[in-house]
Amino acid sequence: MKKNGFGGRSLIGLCFLFLYLPIFLLIFFSFNAGESSAVWQGFSLHWYGELFHNRLVIESLATTLLVSLLSTAIATVAGTFAAIGIYSLTKKWRDPILVVNDIPMMNADIVTGISLCLFFVAFFHGWGGIARWLNSWQSLIKFPTRMTLGLTTLIIAHVSFNIPYVILNVAPRLRQMDKNLVDAAQDLGCTWMQAFFKVILPEIKPGIVSGALIAFTMSVDDFVISYFTAGSATQTLPMTIYGMTKKRVTPVVNAVSTLMFLAVLIVLIINNIRSAKQARLNARRASFEPVRENPRVERFKAWLTTPRGKLARRLTAAVTCVIFIGTVGFLTAFTQSRPVVNVCSWGEYIDEDLIDEFEAETGIRVNYQTTDSNETLYSLLKSGGADYDVVVPSDYMISQLIEEGMLEELDYSQIPNFEKIDPRFRNLPYDPENKYTVPYTWGTVGIIYNSTMVDGDITSWSSLYDDSNAGQVLLINNSRDAFGIALKYLGYSVNTTDEDEIRAAYELVADANDRGVFQGKVMDEVFQAMEGGNAAIATYYAGDYLSMLENNEDLKFVVPEEGSNWFVDAMCVLKDAPNFDNAMKWINFIASTDSNLRNMDYIWYASPNTEALEQYPAWYEEQYGEELDPEIYEIMAAPQEVLDRCEMYIVLPRPTRAFYNNLWIQLGI
Amino acid sequence: MKNKRSLFAVPYVIWMAIFVVIPIIIVLIYSLTVPVETADGEVLQGSLENFTGMALYAGVFGRSFWLAFIATVICLFIGYPVAYLMSREGPGFQRVAMALIMLPMWMNFLLRTYSWMAILENNGLLNQLFAKLGIISLYNRLTGSDIDHFQMIRTSGAVVLGMVYNYLPFMILPIYTVLVKLDNRLIEAAADLGANSATVFRRVTLPLSLSGIVSGVTMVFVPSVSTFAISRLLGGGKQTMLGDLIENQFLGGAYNPHLGAAISMVMMVIVLICMVVMNHFGDGGEEAMML
Repeated sequence: MKKNGFGGRSLIGLCFLFLYLPIFLLIFFSFNAGESSAVWQGFSLHWYGELFHNRLVIESLATTLLVSLLSTAIATVAGTFAAIGIYSLTKKWRDPILVVNDIPMMNADIVTGISLCLFFVAFFHGWGGIARWLNSWQSLIKFPTRMTLGLTTLIIAHVSFNIPYVILNVAPRLRQMDKNLVDAAQDLGCTWMQAFFKVILPEIKPGIVSGALIAFTMSVDDFVISYFTAGSATQTLPMTIYGMTKKRVTPVVNAVSTLMFLAVLIVLIINNIRSAKQARLNARRASFEPVRENPRVERFKAWLTTPRGKLARRLTAAVTCVIFIGTVGFLTAFTQSRPVVNVCSWGEYIDEDLIDEFEAETGIRVNYQTTDSNETLYSLLKSGGADYDVVVPSDYMISQLIEEGMLEELDYSQIPNFEKIDPRFRNLPYDPENKYTVPYTWGTVGIIYNSTMVDGDITSWSSLYDDSNAGQVLLINNSRDAFGIALKYLGYSVNTTDEDEIRAAYELVADANDRGVFQGKVMDEVFQAMEGGNAAIATYYAGDYLSMLENNEDLKFVVPEEGSNWFVDAMCVLKDAPNFDNAMKWINFIASTDSNLRNMDYIWYASPNTEALEQYPAWYEEQYGEELDPEIYEIMAAPQEVLDRCEMYIVLPRPTRAFYNNLWIQLGI
Repeated sequence: MKNKRSLFAVPYVIWMAIFVVIPIIIVLIYSLTVPVETADGEVLQGSLENFTGMALYAGVFGRSFWLAFIATVICLFIGYPVAYLMSREGPGFQRVAMALIMLPMWMNFLLRTYSWMAILENNGLLNQLFAKLGIISLYNRLTGSDIDHFQMIRTSGAVVLGMVYNYLPFMILPIYTVLVKLDNRLIEAAADLGANSATVFRRVTLPLSLSGIVSGVTMVFVPSVSTFAISRLLGGGKQTMLGDLIENQFLGGAYNPHLGAAISMVMMVIVLICMVVMNHFGDGGEEAMML
């Protein structure tokens, strides 16, 4: 056979270059001194050190390893036996089973994910009734009536998609095996178990190993199925990364991935050297050349058959088992220990040190999760996948949740810090009697623009829609804000239910869209786009603008003259929250002046706490030794005359929401 | 003895019934019902509304299939030659190459896709490179335009690139597995009988590797058509695909699991068709997914 020439080899090389270019970049930027993934700011091992302090990354890594290890172990054992079983069936039975076996592998991941998600939710629904019935009928065992998606469902899902890979790898080995071997072994006096361990297992071992390896790889890399079956309280590393890719991926993730990558690389290299040796040996054996075994290896093999050797082998096996169980136990303890208050908020919306402090102060473990929009949060809650205690939705979503009976009334006697909330932020339309909420932050929506890419100052929303900045504008990617802004520009109320007005707003956006004014539709992706100077104009929240300003000084912010939306995000507790009292403690802790000051400093959103709001400039000076730019303070905490121009969203009636949705779909395609 | 061993299949059959078959039936039920508000809360009512309402999304269907098709074709045209060349190398080279193809899976695909964002951005590495090399100013002079970057991210091209990048190994592996097992004597025989190398390829190698191609095509096409992360990261929210649509019905703003289930059903039917096609070409698919 002709070997490939230079041309052929370089084609393979090019292909690998294509596959590895992004990976090299990732590894390269894990050593970056700065936070960017595009600008090199010098060599540093900073992010590798940071790795051990980033709880989100560490916890999700532990979850990923736990799920992958457990599901691979279960799937390998179950898959091997299933394969043996299936291959001793007659063809009539075997073929349909193999077709069903193929389904999870051939089906799109997203279909597998949602089918399992719907199944689990339906099961939990049914189980609630059964458990109540069982509990009413007997009092010996108290069955939990409420179950949610979590680690268990995640592991079941992973086992489910892993088993087919194991079967597919074991099956050909079984097919190659001489069927009479087992019978012969048994004729010679082996019991079934002995025949299995001494005959079948050695024959199919390579299949089992490669099946387990593939299963483990698939498990670690899986995102889509986990995303739909993990629910709210559990997060795997790919899910964490997905959350981050929207805003900013911290180089800590690059560091983790580099370490994992290197670990696998080393395993592969060792494996390769071994199999290369084996191949050479086999080749020599095949050519009847005398094979000189390493005498030490020979002696070792002989020793293994002595009683002591056998004992040593059993011991090794036992130790491996203990190590496996120990690792799984440790990871379980690490990820599942006392999850006593489940909080769901937005990405990068808290000074994370506050979480550690709260834990140290109260001994309550905080399970802190994030989502990226009110609508996503609503879907999560509706689908029954969420098991939060505290959520932090925005005004209009709060009234919708109240309306649908999804929130619990708070016990304000346990939240003394509520007294410090500015009267301006109490009894707002979304919660008129203030029974359900404690405000977390407030702010305005405005235009963020890059002064080097836009001529002059922007004062009006019109810059979003006219041709002067075509191709440089980022549209906010949710219907409420995108149409709300257009309504404001046209001089209507953001809360209008008049379909003609809403349609006019839609026409405005759709027309600009057709003319190619918008470069894309973004939510948190706006950070990367604006900080990197990849777009000139975007609409987003004042607080987030100030975060971007730290990374790009050319950015400016304005609340346009036509007015805008102002919002309050508030902490609420979900109906039947399992950890109500702990939730009260958390809310009270976060509502304190000190927490508010530090949050304000960290996330740049204005606080509703009167003291914190007043003290912030002085506190800033004390912390950083320089005065806080009054302009920045004004953007963060908009003065009353700006707020007077702005309107707060109130929840729209159901038909209007459906109308919004339809228009939004028409815009999207 | 035989019967005793086949009992091992029973637990797995039960497992599959619970965790594979029933969930799909539930999706089917969801797709055929809509929630209706009555005096005592929401009840489900049988309806074909979800399927008839899908006409609104014809554009998304069209785009998904078109982009996935292009990505699959590109994967085939890159993947086949690479698999072919690899199968003609020595065993050592092959082992290393196989390992190198599997290895990227250990770096999360979202992260790798995110890395492409940094490359393709308007101020990204590629545009910086083009600017340094003077390609952008050359382009401006040739076409009389005035641009300071090429718009690469947030276009359908970027989405296709993301698909090709992520799923290329799934095209190479099955084709390679088939080619490497190909009996070399057949090729020699064909050559001895007077076929030139083009004819040998067309009449011998290609037909014999068809099962690998079919499973490669399915393994690239199915995830491509259903992706939502890639289109979101590289398509900038403008290139809505089927996956985005489904995700949006379950965990996104639109929240309508019934519609989402209906779209999933349609997608599942497509997968079924793919499986039928695959079975038609023999069981190459099975071997394709093994190391």
